[in-house]
Amino acid sequence: MSEKIAVRMSGIVKRFPGVIANDGVNFDAREGEVHALLGENGAGKSTLSNILTGLYRPDNGEIELNGESISFSSPRAALNAGIGMVHQHFRLVSSFTVAENVVLGDESTGTFLNAGDVAQKVEELSQRYNLAVDPRARVWQLSVGEQQRVEILKVLYRGARILILDEPTAVLTPQEADALFITLRAMVKEGRTVIFISHKLDEVMAVSDRVTVLRGGRTVGTIETAHSSRRELARLMVGREVVFDRVERKINSSDKETVLRVNAVSALDDRGNKALNDVSLTIKTGEVLGVAGVSGNGQRELAEVIAGMRHASAGTISVNEKEIPNGKVRHAISAGIAHVPEDRLHTGLASSHSIEDNLILKSYRTQPISRYSVLRRKAIQENASQLVEQYDVKTPSTETPVRLLSGGNVQKVLLAREFSANPKVLIAASPTRGLDVGAIENVRSHIVAAADSGVGVLLISEDLEELLSLSDRIVVLYEGRIVGDLPTSSATRESLGLLMGGVALEEHTS
Amino acid sequence: MKSPLRLERRLTQPKKLNWLVPLISIAAALALGAIVLLLTGKNPLSAYHRILETAFTSKSSFSGTLVSATPLAFTGLCAALTFRAGIINIGGEGQFFMGAVGATLAGLALSGQPTAIIILSMVVMGALFGGLYAVIAGVLKAKFNTNEIITTLMLNYLAGIFLNYLIFGSTSYWRDPQSMGFPTGKQLQPRAFWPSLHIVGFTVPLGFLLATILGMLLWFLYARTRFGYEVNVIADAPSAARYAGMRTRWKIISVMAIAGAVAGFGGASDVGDFRHVLDAKGLQLAGYGYTGIVVAALARYNPVSAVTVAILMGGLTNAGYALQGPNFPSGLVGTLQGLILFTAVAGEVLTRYRIRTQKSGALSEVAA
Amino acid sequence: MNKRLTRKWLPAVAVLGLGVSLVACGSSKSDTASDASTTDTAAATADTMASTTDTAAPDATAVGSTSWDTNFTPWKDGKPVNCKPATGPLKAAWIYVGPINDGGWTQAHHEGLKAVQAKFGDQVVTTYKENIPEGPQVLTTIDQLVKDGNTVIFGTSFGFQDAFVTAAGKYPNVCFEFETGFKSAANLSQAYGAGEDGDYLAGMAAGAASKTGKVGYLAPFAIPEVIRGVNAFTLGVRNINPAATVQVVWTGTWFDPAKERQAAESLISAGVDAISSAQDSPAAGEAAKAKSIPWVGYDSDQNANFPEVWLTATTYHWGVYEVPRIQQVLDGTWVAGDYYGGLDDGFVKMATFGKLVSADTQAKILAKQAELAANSGSQFTGPIKAQDGTEKIAAGASASYGDLMGMNYLVEGVLGDLPKS
Repeated sequence: MSEKIAVRMSGIVKRFPGVIANDGVNFDAREGEVHALLGENGAGKSTLSNILTGLYRPDNGEIELNGESISFSSPRAALNAGIGMVHQHFRLVSSFTVAENVVLGDESTGTFLNAGDVAQKVEELSQRYNLAVDPRARVWQLSVGEQQRVEILKVLYRGARILILDEPTAVLTPQEADALFITLRAMVKEGRTVIFISHKLDEVMAVSDRVTVLRGGRTVGTIETAHSSRRELARLMVGREVVFDRVERKINSSDKETVLRVNAVSALDDRGNKALNDVSLTIKTGEVLGVAGVSGNGQRELAEVIAGMRHASAGTISVNEKEIPNGKVRHAISAGIAHVPEDRLHTGLASSHSIEDNLILKSYRTQPISRYSVLRRKAIQENASQLVEQYDVKTPSTETPVRLLSGGNVQKVLLAREFSANPKVLIAASPTRGLDVGAIENVRSHIVAAADSGVGVLLISEDLEELLSLSDRIVVLYEGRIVGDLPTSSATRESLGLLMGGVALEEHTS
Repeated sequence: MKSPLRLERRLTQPKKLNWLVPLISIAAALALGAIVLLLTGKNPLSAYHRILETAFTSKSSFSGTLVSATPLAFTGLCAALTFRAGIINIGGEGQFFMGAVGATLAGLALSGQPTAIIILSMVVMGALFGGLYAVIAGVLKAKFNTNEIITTLMLNYLAGIFLNYLIFGSTSYWRDPQSMGFPTGKQLQPRAFWPSLHIVGFTVPLGFLLATILGMLLWFLYARTRFGYEVNVIADAPSAARYAGMRTRWKIISVMAIAGAVAGFGGASDVGDFRHVLDAKGLQLAGYGYTGIVVAALARYNPVSAVTVAILMGGLTNAGYALQGPNFPSGLVGTLQGLILFTAVAGEVLTRYRIRTQKSGALSEVAA
Repeated sequence: MNKRLTRKWLPAVAVLGLGVSLVACGSSKSDTASDASTTDTAAATADTMASTTDTAAPDATAVGSTSWDTNFTPWKDGKPVNCKPATGPLKAAWIYVGPINDGGWTQAHHEGLKAVQAKFGDQVVTTYKENIPEGPQVLTTIDQLVKDGNTVIFGTSFGFQDAFVTAAGKYPNVCFEFETGFKSAANLSQAYGAGEDGDYLAGMAAGAASKTGKVGYLAPFAIPEVIRGVNAFTLGVRNINPAATVQVVWTGTWFDPAKERQAAESLISAGVDAISSAQDSPAAGEAAKAKSIPWVGYDSDQNANFPEVWLTATTYHWGVYEVPRIQQVLDGTWVAGDYYGGLDDGFVKMATFGKLVSADTQAKILAKQAELAANSGSQFTGPIKAQDGTEKIAAGASASYGDLMGMNYLVEGVLGDLPKS
């Protein structure tokens, strides 16, 4: 790592109507370093990177590239100056090959592509940076991790010296994330600069040389990663001490009654393949049952079948030993099943609608929200202001569309609605995914509080730490079957990991 | 990017834009129109004065405007309802025709009854015919996920052919058996004519009054009832609708039925208020269903606004007829009308996006 | 002169509301405009045609020479309506369903407006409204025109009729001229002309042009006016070639170029070697030109555009009626009534003959034209037999007005059926 500054941003100010996204941010990245940009959602990381890549223009402040002041009029101008961005959401044409996607939009290529040349060059790049991907494969055939590699190749192909990666690990498996880190190290070794945007402390600690922490649109500070700690970074990011310990709670469910019984349920996925195969499980009042498993092994279908969103092809669901009709959301709701779906913004909420409207998504059919089919505006407003206050949702107004809220506040709205119905059962699918530290803490405490009040919780998560710290019992889903059912006290990351990989542990299977 | 201006999507839509943008749009339309008029050697002030007078300011002109606005109010409502629900129903035209067919049937068959009963039956039959006709496309979409743009468009052609069959191709009940020359429909008895109301010197067609009331009812339906709430969620977040247990398919069919009934109501009004006959050719030439889509778009799919926009559109139409003549080619009239519509749409863009200049970093919003 | 005799009781028929329609829909019926300046088409044409060397002199006293008012009958008990303004020039307005440059129906009416303006200069201010849709806007447009001071208003589309009847009641001091319909009022006149006379003459041209005796005919709708035209045309064809047949195709449209062309092509491939289209577009001419088949057009003179295949066509000249009517308004003698123009007063004229019409044929046609001008409708003198051989008009008998206006059978020689209704 040299001491030469590759890019410097000073006094960056960017306002949006009613919001100051960046309020005098200072930031610099050296040649040959991985520089992490750490901050909670809404801290101003994305705005800053969008300014650096020419998507936004700052209202104030200065950008220096290799010591020279510069201003970009468009992302293309930034790219021409050697700044490339790998977005969280890929911008690939799925019917094109990898090589075609890499050269797409590159003006230096003539009208006609020499497919062989491009493929060869892509192959060279991918070998050099440990980005294993077949240049001739079509993008739709690739895994998410491979698609991300194509995005990185695109940027490298254009000769970017500074690469910005926006939450690159959000979509990756741990193994893919490790491979990505090797790639990043290889790039900085050649003198390139990597700006790594994240709110995950572990990976920031693992991959970066220095960290700049943003909070509330301002720079909190820049520190050498080696001289810092997870705890310190968390404190800088959130602005107060954060406790990472296991949530302590009274586990005393053995003598309680069964609140949810899933009996020999099978179900198909959207493409008609068998996604759940003879799944049985029970949850007692006040119990948190964790569901572990690699994504795509039937978790989503399990949650949907219980919530009535999906027909079970066989088996029954009972709440308090009373069977609820198959595939009927309304019956599931009135039976007391609350559901926090994985896709909060589009399934759990109607994101373009106001907080008020979203808070009645499940109660609009009942008094006092509506009477004689007519909605009662006043009751809706009261409901909203009460819940917004109770759950501490940060919003200018209860009429604000949910999509304008930060991730943590979105989840608060969802939880507020689901808990306000006094559920008997809560299905929570990846409830903390994509949230920042403060919000994760908040969500977990709500789940624990619900369990303490007697709600039976089905917690589906890919985050083993979360499962281990919140659950009383953990079942493992593998290819639509339950392959393990063990009390948390006897579960370890290792044993769960083996089960998730399909290796049966004789002594644990039920 | 070479352009010094560019559009940025607004995160929120400031409330003041709701009235500011239309005002600026109209000003821009008048300014652009004035340039065109000056270039063609016309006096913009007298042209504008004539538009205003012949469309709105004189009592008899405004009454004429309401006549032109009436069918557009119905078809505008029809389009607004479905578009708001995320259903691209192009079929207001055919639903309007079918409503006219049903209403004429009622008006002819019940010619001996009291006027109130005839009118009521015409409305019911018109709404029934239009509604059922729309349900065809609704069921196809709900059950088989058929593209409703295609089906409704096809059904429009089919309805036109059906009209032709009833009047030109057969000796149907609707055809006047005594029209030995050019085939025409059977005339309603005068007692089946819908009365016009005289309100402070304006002649208001009964159909227009009913459309206004209907617009308010439909606004209430969409803004204040469970039904409207569900429709809004289904339109904007289908996945959330499923999550909340809303019956999406049933709602699609219901919305189509209501919208079709509204268009059919319009067909009934067209027969009862104005034509008093099933006018196969006139209906097809009028294109009310298609203009209704423009009305709905300009009204931003708001039912109350749709009625208002229909008045503006009706006024613009009538002013257009009044303006043209030997010294004012109808092409120039069309250009002026087009300019006004164009700036209205452009203004609509400004409420959702804002313009930024490239030169300075300072926020420079146009129209705000 | 039975025609004019029968005309005398026409107003009574119309007033009785028997619903006799003189014509079809105006919106798309087109008419010639290109030869409005020609005052005596047939004679002038004959003289200028290169191929015409020895044209028999037509009966000039009959063709286009009589006064318009021989074809005009005031309504029973009709009284003069004074619609001349007390001060200032007379304002007259025309309401069109189509654009003034449609090359057909509306354009022909607009030529009438121009003729009025040219004739009266400062005395009359003319205006027009084009592209007015049939429907409630018609009355609104009339209201506006009356408000603007117009006291004579011409309506030119059948679909405007009810609005004109309403307006006539609403504005008793405005003179309404309707071209063309059948309803009457004290201040509402009706005007049209004997197109079937021209159709007969056009049929003669087609009959002479066909070598095989197989002629094709595109007809819009099976309504009396069109059927009358088909029959007159067929009689004309068989005047030249008694063994000839006319294959008719019902297009179901007044104006649809694609459909018309398709229908023409199917007739040609079915073996006809002369074709006539009573349609508003020259699309059939395109098809005819492609296969070098002689063609009879309608409403407009297309000789310049289709010289290779052009025969002739029936055309209407509204100025013949409109100019003297305006004069009557100025004179304070305007009475509402019914006008049915013909070859005699120049309202109906033949378009120029194409080069395919031989001098001999032209002579025959011109001779017959003189006969029809003197005695409109005489081509339907009995014996007239229907397709199945039944006698419709007895030998020697003239067709009555009812026979003509309610014609609902095809004559012998026509191939093809009337659509079942």
